[in-house]
Amino acid sequence: MLIVLVTGLAIGSLYAMMGLVYNVMYSTSKVLSMTTGHLAMLGAVFGAWFMGGLGWPIWLGLPAAAAVGAAFGLLTDVVAIRRVITRSNEHLWLLSTLAVATMVQQAVGLWWGTEPRPFPRLVPQDPAGALDQKYWLPIVLVLLMAAGLGLFYRKTMFGKVFVAMSEDAFAARARGIATNRVRAMSYVISGALGAVAGFATGQLTYAFFAVGTLLTLNGFVALAVGGLGSNMGALVGGWALGIISMVASHYFGGEYQQTIAIGLLMLALLVRPQGIFGTRQVRAV
Amino acid sequence: MTASSPWRGALPRLAGGLALILLPLVVSNQYHLHLASLIGAFWILVAGLNLVVGYTGQLSVGHVGLLAIGSYTFAILAGKHGWDPILTTVVAGLVCGLCGFLVGLPSLRLPEFYFAMSTLAFGLIVTELAVARTELTGGGVGLPAPFFPGPLGTPSGFYWLILAAAGLVTWLTWNVTRFMWGRSLVAIRDSPVAAASVGVPVFRAKLTVFVFSGVTAGVAGALFSSLQSYITPDTFHFELSLFFFVSIIIGGRGSILGPFVGTAVLTALPELVAPLAKLGTFFYGLLLLLVVLLVPEGVGRLVQRVIAALRPPVVEHHAIRPDLDRLRAALRAGARR
Repeated sequence: MLIVLVTGLAIGSLYAMMGLVYNVMYSTSKVLSMTTGHLAMLGAVFGAWFMGGLGWPIWLGLPAAAAVGAAFGLLTDVVAIRRVITRSNEHLWLLSTLAVATMVQQAVGLWWGTEPRPFPRLVPQDPAGALDQKYWLPIVLVLLMAAGLGLFYRKTMFGKVFVAMSEDAFAARARGIATNRVRAMSYVISGALGAVAGFATGQLTYAFFAVGTLLTLNGFVALAVGGLGSNMGALVGGWALGIISMVASHYFGGEYQQTIAIGLLMLALLVRPQGIFGTRQVRAV
Repeated sequence: MTASSPWRGALPRLAGGLALILLPLVVSNQYHLHLASLIGAFWILVAGLNLVVGYTGQLSVGHVGLLAIGSYTFAILAGKHGWDPILTTVVAGLVCGLCGFLVGLPSLRLPEFYFAMSTLAFGLIVTELAVARTELTGGGVGLPAPFFPGPLGTPSGFYWLILAAAGLVTWLTWNVTRFMWGRSLVAIRDSPVAAASVGVPVFRAKLTVFVFSGVTAGVAGALFSSLQSYITPDTFHFELSLFFFVSIIIGGRGSILGPFVGTAVLTALPELVAPLAKLGTFFYGLLLLLVVLLVPEGVGRLVQRVIAALRPPVVEHHAIRPDLDRLRAALRAGARR
């Protein structure tokens, strides 16, 4: 039972990190990108390639995987967001990010192969059951990430610009903020964070090309339950989702994970549409 | 496709329909006929989905789930329990309509991205359950699906059956889009708030259309499984859903011919051009991206625009001739009063 809880917490941490990545992109562009989960997939696949295939040490492999994620984040912004977001509010960004997500998934599938491959161990540690590194790495990382983002938003000039843009991008632009450049920056940051998240959880998810869609979905469920735009909500939602789905699949069998996740989402949206930590949106008239 | 005269452009439509009916007599290659039947089965689903995605603007990316339910209903009832295949096709449509209702009831209330995510999740859940409920669906091994009896079991007979069903569905959707219903759907797509303010029952219209698309998906699923003759959960991968979605977006939202051409081209191209088959879904993603970036209205609209640019504009002369007799009569009547 302990191992079930710890697994749930670790997987939930991955979902929570996906929620944080959603939030970083959402803050500057009001876009929920379908590529979110694929960032983690890239981190895991490239991490496995750099460290397992090419035999690089971790101090080289981790920054390199993060750089791949950051580059893909920038690419997403340039290709799928920049031109689309200036158009009317027809939600074209949903289609363009879906297209980019599909392309990256298939490209990785063609290049890397469609079988999941093992991810190398990151820290020298003997296999230790519930205290193994594949469980505590994501849990520690999500706390670091949430705390780091909190500090970034509150203490740095750049972070305050992010907050300003999330409040009102138009007003921020009027105050002389280069909104296009800030948005690109947020996509780079989110790409790096997503790739690091995938890198740290690689030993749980394996280096598998198709894991992205599931993470996009589950990260979104975590965020919707916790409250869109709230980092605290992403943490709580992610952990709740991870633990509930793990405990439930322990009792009912692992085949029903998605069913449980979406059931949780529907329940949460029925009871509290704006999420636990979300703020109520004004009606769009 | 104007509402004013349904007979405008009837000739090319009749010719196209006749060509489709005569196709099995012309095509000697069995594989090409199978491909044509496959396009027809997919089109039955896409025609229904087109009302949801193209007209109402609800981005449902999970219709593969409904297709799977239709297919399994057919394979289980007609295959395992020996029901009459034609009756089972109708039952599959009804079952999927019910599923569409149950899915649409909560998810259609959600905003755009939430709705897309719920339908995505629905598609994944159905595949998950198809693998899990081994005693019902055969699990990963799959199920055989029976052929239709008698002359309908032959390749050309089955093609004609699919053609008849596709024609019926196309006619239904065409009727919906031409009249008040279609207008209200377009209004919901362009601005739900404005549509609600002029008395369009937004939620009920969305739900009705979604249920209809469920029925067509069920019928398509039944025909699809009989066409494939064997179904496994792997048949209904998420990329298939993307394929339906992309053929509508590429063909052009708010048209019927566009998505039809999109379905036909996207089904046939990877089969006929070998290098594209290897790229597969990557190619769909690339097409979707290009269309969204370059022609968000769809290729159909682009073609219309090119035709309009090539054809010299018709200048009509309106000579204004006052009807002097009536004017005189009116003046006289006014003077008398």
